Amino acid sequence: MLRENAEMEWIVPKPVSEILKWVLLVWLAGVIVAAFFYVQPAEGFIGESSRIVFFHVPMAWVAVLAFLVSCVTSVMYLRRRDPKDDIRASVSAGLGLLFAVLATTTGAVFAKIMWGAYWNWDPRQTSITILLLIYAAYLALRGAIDDPERRASLAAVYAILAFVTVPFLVFVVPRIYWSLHPDTIINTRGANEFDSRYTQVLLASLVGFTYLYVWLYTIGCRIEEIRQRRRQEVL
Amino acid sequence: MWRWLAEAFAVAAKDLRTEFRTRVAINSLGLFALTVLAAVSYTVGPYRIAAEDRPFLLAVLLWIVIFFAALAGLDRSFVKEEESHTAPLLRLAASPSAVWFGKLVFNLLVIYMLMAILVPLYCILMGYTIMMVWEFVLILVLGGYALAVITTIVAAIIARALTRGALFSVLSLPLLLPLMIFLIQGTAGVAEGTPEIVSSTVRAVLSMGGIMTIVSAALFPVVWSD
Repeated sequence: MLRENAEMEWIVPKPVSEILKWVLLVWLAGVIVAAFFYVQPAEGFIGESSRIVFFHVPMAWVAVLAFLVSCVTSVMYLRRRDPKDDIRASVSAGLGLLFAVLATTTGAVFAKIMWGAYWNWDPRQTSITILLLIYAAYLALRGAIDDPERRASLAAVYAILAFVTVPFLVFVVPRIYWSLHPDTIINTRGANEFDSRYTQVLLASLVGFTYLYVWLYTIGCRIEEIRQRRRQEVL
Repeated sequence: MWRWLAEAFAVAAKDLRTEFRTRVAINSLGLFALTVLAAVSYTVGPYRIAAEDRPFLLAVLLWIVIFFAALAGLDRSFVKEEESHTAPLLRLAASPSAVWFGKLVFNLLVIYMLMAILVPLYCILMGYTIMMVWEFVLILVLGGYALAVITTIVAAIIARALTRGALFSVLSLPLLLPLMIFLIQGTAGVAEGTPEIVSSTVRAVLSMGGIMTIVSAALFPVVWSD
């Protein structure tokens, strides 16, 4: 049960968060402008298609980060049985699903330009589809259990099981089967193939979107906490 | 240790005995598999697929039949305990890990029984020639084990939810799909006789089965007693 005087969820202290919100707005606007005007299109890619990397890679990174947070908070829930950990896990899984959809969409646009079709079941596309199914199933499971405590612990177990399959999808499936996907940032040769302007904009974009996730996560947790407290007051 | 094993095998033996009395799981699994096999054999048959496509496409159909048959009946192992209200008694009688292992053994036996009947029939009816027979058996054994581990823990989860039937497939399939991809590639490999694909499949399936075993053994007590 949530305590009456429970602290609201603030990862970043509230006054700092109020300022960072506006910094984030300017930062992401800057990233978008830089992505289109500061860097030159990369060689070996058709037209301007390489610019999508500044949006696609951060989306995929945030999706994985959100799932990691969801898994860690699920483990924490099972250890100390704090309902707030359950809220954290569910909010993070929801955001992970959102960012995974965005990564899939940006990837499909790139696939259309480079490979000629939005969807061709490339191993990367297959793995992201399964990832989407996993987290949709997680949310379906949460919807199917009434009792809050049972829902929290069963969902936590499923989130951990799901997270265990992520390395197979992200690393094993694309490695075993031939893929059209450009080398990932962390590639097998350990080389960074981007020029310096690419690296700058990509890092800035990663930072921006990561904070966007943190901000959305904070808001999501607070909303969910208020909603649960209201429900307890009604009962 | 011996006590634990005795408990686990008592759970598996009890499940087998009640299963042979009612035959709910075996009927739903076996008849589902045979019906789908009849449908596939009637519509596709041994001659519809071009020779170069056979190893891969027939592997796809085979694993789809096995996985969907498993999804049609393996949730019974836990759902029946909740439906007949025998779960609380089982919680008192055996330790959680023994229950998990017993149910796993039961599901494993059911899957192996299904495979023992279905796979030879499939190969005969579809004219599926396998170049590396022992490697094929190895892939079936390992694949069946990984399938049993994943469906056992998911069955334990959904037995405690409200809507059980549909939820079992919804929760299992995403976890099973990577395994299915590996097994299809590996089966196509043994049918064609390419050893490299076989070894990468065996490694992938073994690691997946191993990790899932450890994680479900650690998490099962939470699912079972909460």
